[in-house]
Order: sequence, then C-alpha cells, then structure tokens
Amino acid sequence: MTITVCDEEFILIKERALFLPEKQLLVISDLHLGKSAHFRRAGLQVPSTVAQSDLQRLSLIIERYAPQTLLINGDMFHHQLNSDVDDFSRWKSYYRNLEFILVKGNHDRLADKHYQDLGIHVYEPSYCTDKLCFIHDSTACKEETLYPISGHIHPGVTIIGKAKQRLRFPCFYFGKEYAILPAFSAFTGLFNIKPNKGEDVYAITPTKVLKV
Amino acid sequence: MQQTIGYKKVQDWLKADKKKPFDFQEEAWQYYADGYSGLVNAPTGFGKTFSLFLAVVMEGLSQEKSKKNAKERLQLIWITPLRSLAKDIARAMNETLQALNLDWHVGVRNGDTSQNEKLKQKKSMPEILLITPESLHLLLAQKGSSILFNNLKCIVADEWHELLGSKRGVMVELAISRIKALNKNNLLRIWGISATIGNLDEALDVIEPDLTAKRVIIRAKLSKKITIKSILPDDIETLPWAGHLGLKLAYKLLPIIKKSKTTLIFINTRGQSEMWYQHLLNIEPDLAGRLAIHHGSIDFELRNWIEESLHTGLLKAVIATSSLDLGVDFKPVDTVVQVGSPKGVARFLQRAGRSGHSPGATSKIYFLPTHALELVEAAAIKEAAKNNNIESREPMVMVFDTLIQYLVSLAVGDGFDDQQIYQEVKNTHAFKLLLPEEWSWIMQFITTGGDSLTAYQEFNKVVKDEQDGLWKVKSRQIAMRHRLHIGTIISDAMLKVKFLSGGYIGMVEEYFISKLKPNDSFTLAGRILDFVQLKDMTVIVRRSKKKRAMSPSWLGGRLPLSSNLGAVLRKKYNEVLDQHHEDEELDTVYPLFLKQQEKSHVPKENELLIELINNREGFHLFSYPFEGRLVHEILAALVAYRLSRLVPITFSIAMNDYGFELLSDTEIPMDDAIAYDIFSPVNLAQDIKLSINSTEMARRKFRDIACIAGLVFQGYPGKYVANKHLQSSAGLFFNVFSDFDKHNLLLRQAYDEVFYQQLEEPRLLAALHRIQQSNIVITHPKSFTPLSFPIKVDSLRANMSSEELDNRIERMKAEAAKF
Repeated sequence: MTITVCDEEFILIKERALFLPEKQLLVISDLHLGKSAHFRRAGLQVPSTVAQSDLQRLSLIIERYAPQTLLINGDMFHHQLNSDVDDFSRWKSYYRNLEFILVKGNHDRLADKHYQDLGIHVYEPSYCTDKLCFIHDSTACKEETLYPISGHIHPGVTIIGKAKQRLRFPCFYFGKEYAILPAFSAFTGLFNIKPNKGEDVYAITPTKVLKV
Repeated sequence: MQQTIGYKKVQDWLKADKKKPFDFQEEAWQYYADGYSGLVNAPTGFGKTFSLFLAVVMEGLSQEKSKKNAKERLQLIWITPLRSLAKDIARAMNETLQALNLDWHVGVRNGDTSQNEKLKQKKSMPEILLITPESLHLLLAQKGSSILFNNLKCIVADEWHELLGSKRGVMVELAISRIKALNKNNLLRIWGISATIGNLDEALDVIEPDLTAKRVIIRAKLSKKITIKSILPDDIETLPWAGHLGLKLAYKLLPIIKKSKTTLIFINTRGQSEMWYQHLLNIEPDLAGRLAIHHGSIDFELRNWIEESLHTGLLKAVIATSSLDLGVDFKPVDTVVQVGSPKGVARFLQRAGRSGHSPGATSKIYFLPTHALELVEAAAIKEAAKNNNIESREPMVMVFDTLIQYLVSLAVGDGFDDQQIYQEVKNTHAFKLLLPEEWSWIMQFITTGGDSLTAYQEFNKVVKDEQDGLWKVKSRQIAMRHRLHIGTIISDAMLKVKFLSGGYIGMVEEYFISKLKPNDSFTLAGRILDFVQLKDMTVIVRRSKKKRAMSPSWLGGRLPLSSNLGAVLRKKYNEVLDQHHEDEELDTVYPLFLKQQEKSHVPKENELLIELINNREGFHLFSYPFEGRLVHEILAALVAYRLSRLVPITFSIAMNDYGFELLSDTEIPMDDAIAYDIFSPVNLAQDIKLSINSTEMARRKFRDIACIAGLVFQGYPGKYVANKHLQSSAGLFFNVFSDFDKHNLLLRQAYDEVFYQQLEEPRLLAALHRIQQSNIVITHPKSFTPLSFPIKVDSLRANMSSEELDNRIERMKAEAAKF
C-alpha cells in the first residue's frame, strides 16, 4: 500500500517494513536479533529458525525493492552477541552494496566496536532527513520541526466487528504528532493501540496491508 | 497385630478415652500391618485420618527407638491438597502422639512454611511430614534429598479424590514413583483416602499402579444422613433470569444464620464472595465482627485467625469458597449454605459434610439459587444425591508438561539417570503408554531444546554431569527460577496487598490493579480499601471511608456441569410442566416455564429445541442439549463448522451448562433437514477435527501447558519478576512452535487435552445419537427467552469462520464498528 506522508511517498510493506522510493531507503524497526538465542541460553526452548526466518523475510524485501540503504529503527540486537548474531553476520555478507544504518534503541547495548565489525553505521538518538526524524522512541524526539518515525512499542490493532467478532494484527500507525512502525521480528508480542480521530492505522494481515 | 505393643497401647488409650474404633479403622490397621497398600473410603466425620495415621503410629510404638541419622527419620508422608488442612491435621496428630507418649515430631511443609522452619527440617527431618504435592516436588528439587526417604514406611494421599483428575494428581504419582525407588527398607506402603466417587477401583490403580503389590480398598459401611433444603423465593419474578450473585434472596439467610450455631456459606468464586460479605453486613449490621470471609487470596495470618475462630465458635458465619471445601473439622459448624449451583453431586455432598462433622450427626445444607433455572438444578441434585449418583474423577494421563517440570525438578535436585527414571515413569498410571520416542523427545527438549531437525543453538538447561553421569541443572539462575515455578495451578500474576501503615491483607491479580487509579476503591477480605500506589510489586492501600466499592475478579476456571447431573436435569425439565413431581423447587419455577412455553417451547425429554432470534446484535441460534459447558463448547463449534460449509459465515460462540448460542452478522440457514444434518453423528471425528482446528481451544489449553513446562513464567506474589527480559506469552510460543517446530509434544498435548478431556467423544456421540432419535423443534421467538437469556449474557466466547480472512476484515470494516 502506498501513502503520502510529509509530501513523500511511503510504501507500507506487508512483511512489516517501510520503503521510501525517492531515497531508496528501506526502514524496519525492532528486529530483536538474538532474542531467541538469549531465551535458549536461559533454558527456554525457542527454535533458532525463528530468527533465521526473520532474516529470510528481510532478504525477500531487499530483493524486491533493491534499496541503497537499510535503516533499522532501533532494537536491532536484543541482548548480547550470540549465535543469532553470528547468523546475521553471515547473512549480511551477501549484501555488500547495501548500507546498514542503525538508530540505537533501548536494547542496542553492544560495544561500538561490534557495530563497526559488523559494518553498521550507528546513529544516536536519531537519523534525520529534511522532513523526517527516525528515532526509536518518539517521546525522546527533540526535533520539533521534523515528523518523528518511531518503533519501540510493537503496535497492534484490534478490529471489532458486529456479533462480537474480533481480530488482532500488527500495524503501522500515523498520527498527527508521530508515526510508529510495526516490530519486524516475528518473536514479539503486540501492544494494542487505540487511534483517535484523524490518526491513521494500517493493519498487516497475512496477505496485505489495509487501512482500518 | 493384636499382639503388638503398639496395638495394645492404642487400645488402652482409646479405652481410657471411652472411644471405640470403627470397623473400617480396625480393618485398615490390620491390612497396613500385613504390608498392604490401598485406599480408604469413608464419609467425612468418621475418623478417616486415624485409620491410617494410627496404623503407622502403632508400628512406630512397636519398634525399637532408632538411632538413625537425623536426616533419615521420616516415617510418614501425608500429602494434603490444601494448606489449610495441614495445620488442623498436625494439631490432631500432635495431641495423639502426646497422649500415646511417642516421641515423634510432626512437620508441616507448604507454601506458608517459613524459611526458618524449612532449614530446621533440612537439618533434622520430622518423623511425620504434612506436605502439598508442590512442596513434595520442591523437596525432590533440593540437593541432598535422596537420602531423606530411606526409612519411610508410608505415603498417604489425603483427599485423593480431589487430587485425582488434576495434574496435581500426576505430580503425586511421579513423586511416589521416585520415592519408592529411593526407599531402602522394602516396607513402603502407599495409601489413599478418598470420599465416594464413581471410580474407586481406578483411583486405587492410579495411586498404586503395581498390580503385583498387595492392594485393598477398605470401604466404611457407614452412611451419612444429609438433609437438603432449597431457599425458595416467594415469587419467581424476584429471581433474575440469569446471573450468579443471588443477593436478592440474601435476606432469607438471616434467620437461618440466627438459629444456627455457626454457618458456612459456600460461594463459587472469590469475587462473588467479597460481594456477598458486603451485602450481608449491609442488610444485617449486627453481624459485624461475627462474619468472616475465607478464600485462597486472603493473607495467611488472616486465614489462620478465621480458622481458629471457627474452632472456638467465635464466628456466627463464614463466607467461603472451595478453600474450605475439604476435610477440615470445625465442630461448631452445624449449617451449610450453598449459593449457586455446585455443578456436581460429589462436590455438593462434600460441602454438606462440612456440617454435623461428628459421627452420626446429620448434615444440613441449604441451597440458595442465584437465578431462576438453578432451582431445577437443585431438584436434580436432590434426586442424584438420593440415588447416590456420584461422578467419577477421570485421572489425567500423558501430561507432558507435568513430566517435563518433574524431570527438571529432579535435575535441579540431586540429578537423575534417564534410563532409571524412564522405567519409573513408565510404571506410573499417567505415563504407562509413554513411547520410547516420546521419552527421547522430552529428554531432547530439556537438554538440547528440541529435536535435531529444528536447530536449537546455544540451548542450555539440563546437562550431563561427566563425573557421575547424572542429568543436572548447573545454572543457578535456571535452578532458582525453576524452583519458584513448581506447580500446576496457573493463575495470573498476583500482587500482595498491604496497608500503608503495615499489615498484609491478601492478594489480587495484577491485571485488576492495572485498571485502578489512585483513590479508586475495591474490596478485599471483606474490607473496603482505597488504592494508594503500587510499590515494589506490592499494592499499598488505606482503609476507605466509602460505603461501596468494586470487587476484584480473580480469573479462575468455572466448573462445568457433570454428566450425571446433566441427565437428571433433563428429566427434571420434563417434569416442570406436567407437574407430576414432588419437588417444591419445580413448583416455584413453574410460572417461568409457562413463559418459556408461551414465547417459544419447553423441550421434552425426546426433543431438542432450537431457537432462532434476530435482533440488533445479529442473528442468534440457541440450542439446548443439556450436556454441560464443555460438551457444548465442542458441539457449538461442530454445528458452527457444519453450518459454515453451507454458506460462508462467521460465528461467535457462547455456551453454558444448558445449551449454546451461535451469533452471526448474517442470516443463519436453518430448517428441519439442516437441523438433523448438523447434529448428525456421521463423520463426527473428522468434522470435530476440522471445527476445532479453526477455534482457539488448543491455544487456550497451551496457556497452562507453557507455564507448567517452564516456557512462560507466571508472576509470584509479592516478588518482582526479575527476569522481565525473558518474559514472553504462551500465545507467542504457540505460534512459534506451530510455525517452526510442529512435532513439539507440548503442542500435541494442547490438542490432546482438547480432544480427550474436554471433548469426551463417547459422551458427544451418545448425545448426537440421542438427538437423532428426538424431535427437533425450531421456534422463532421475538426476543430472548428464559432459556436463552442466561447464555446470551455469558461472556466466554470463541469464534468460528469459513469466510476468507480478507473478506471478513473488509466486511467488519464496512460495518465501521471498530475499536
């Protein structure tokens, strides 16, 4: 689905990503790489394939849109270096011409050196363009003239129909003050948001993105 | 036996006290002395405890005083399902030991036991240990626990009927299997004490599955006199058509409380009991100080005080939930009131037995209906009780979550040898059908995370100790987290509630507090409290000046109607209109049935009623098979699925013990032919599979399974969840396993629990055959009927759809009733 925000074309991708064609910029948020391995180390059985499937999905989008830059809007690495991060490093070597940008989130606490080694450019607290400010947590944004695009909360929306039917999906949120991107990782929960009038929410169903 | 010193001493003591043992007690002593294991079945109030306790004591009196290691003293493990039971039994045991001059100690170990006491027990075990199934597993998860059971003579599972049929029963089975192997004296006997249930023989097989052992069931040939009386409204219109509170009839309780010494009032949920407490005080202020409330979420000290006051007769009435269901012997209690349906004959009789607790006394129980139709249930219960039509408790089998938890407990303790434990586990009733491949999957699950096809890199939990070859948990953090989560009762995160000035009151669920703002008030333990703040995972409150406040709701499972009661209930429904009966309850409810007849139809024994009602909410289909909530849930999904094959349609489903509702936003196709078709037993197994797959039932079951298997942590009262970064939801795990690890046995267990426990296929098949033989009556009432209304207001709902998801969303969007 294509929408216009701040006079710029935004493509909302159902694989939980955002593409800005003019800038050839692909944006995802809350990748949480290493979360499943962190759980495994603590004795909780989360398959490694969870993280691998996240990366496969990312490959799919990169091949479809061929971006110059991949921006990860915070919470790229869940905890510390572990086998999930090794998998990521191998995966990344296939994309030598793609620039990786990380806007640091609350989970991104690796030493600077690790980001350098992985070839990731780190921005803190935000990465700004002429009109947009990419930041992990919108409440921390100090750029008053720019429109913040954030992540962090893993937004979800519940659609309630007649006869007490309800469905719940991850979503994009575009409000007056700021926007929120869905969490990219499949191993994340959803935080329900209730939009007010004049705010747009786009639910991500298994087959498409649609406005609700 | 008669020649032993122990027997003589006990006889002398009984004679001095002018007591004579019952035959079944003598019988139990003899069988115990002869080395039997078994089951004692006797009504409450006849000294079941003494039938086994004294048997062990006699043996102890006859033995030489042993000079064994202080850690190896343990003679008797007494497993009780409830904490409140332990204290009472310990008191009785201590008095007896003193009178008999036997130098034994009685220790209590459960969630209320202080750290200090536990440490003392670690240094020196008492001879008798009163313990809950959870604490017994905790004991096994303690380092150095292997030697504790060397000289154990007997394990008794008290109130075995209560544990049987739950995962806690499986915990007992597993613990027994381990202790049997650790025990060194070859004299260990396993006994259960059970109230009357439909399957006593099976109950014996579960607690002592070794068919080569000497086993016996001892039945006390004593019967308990019970009088049952319904509290009837003067006019049926006083009673609502639906609801669960019954406060309108509360005034009728006052004279009953007044003329009784002490009254126990049983209410089905904790939330409702709080409301009843407030209401009784409002209508009878004189009760202040002499009315108490007792439930599982009330602080330990307060509960203690209430139980103490019940003994001394200080209290006029106590409002209780199932927390006081079981064998506590409160002498002054002479009257019991049951508010709302007890849902089963056995439970009702058990509660009745709380009054007139001494041998020979008559138990008196009043039934107070909360809505009109419950009066029919009262008549049904009376009849079932008269005919001794008592339910069976089906033991649980193949509960992998409980087995996984048990294995990790052993690994946290002294470690285990997988070959040996496999044999032990195979010998339990619960896992006798365990396959070698299932066992190896479970071992993989706790050691490598899962089967080799699905990668589980870096997984760390149970590892092999290279020195002794035993499987152990090496990580202290994992061990600590596991110990905190031993158990199979899952509740929402609970928070302790404390006065600003100090003093604990009880616990409430976290989600309830999350909805409160400062200065909002709520009731707990019968007090009205103002919420001040949440601090260090403790809810700080102060006394409120307000007169009314909301009651917290505790999420607890609601009990379904038992099939025994369902059958009697169908019969009673028939009898209301033709008036050939002697039940005053049915006379009272007569006008309501006339209204039902006028608006729609009252189903006869050979009829199935379907009501189609169309209103603002949508198109409703109600049907009344009277098979109990669980069967209706499956039946509703089945009918919804079969209807959805005719036209693309989406249903939301609701049910109660009488029937179910399908609600749709499009018209439901229905005529005689369709009706017989959707209730057909043809292709049942296949259709059920398809209909259940599309519902959320397995996912709901998985919530508990994920907690028990240690995937998801429930909060623990008063303790901050230090592992927030490891928090995840059961639903997420359900998705992850469904997508990435389909062979996960826990996933299979979730479906199995739905199929074999909830589904009860034989019962469902019988119901469908019955329906095929009946007349299906379809009516189109203009508005809700007395039968349909209670289902309509029920809030538990599931969904069933045959529409494409996208279409469904588009249509729901178009309706614009979003968020």
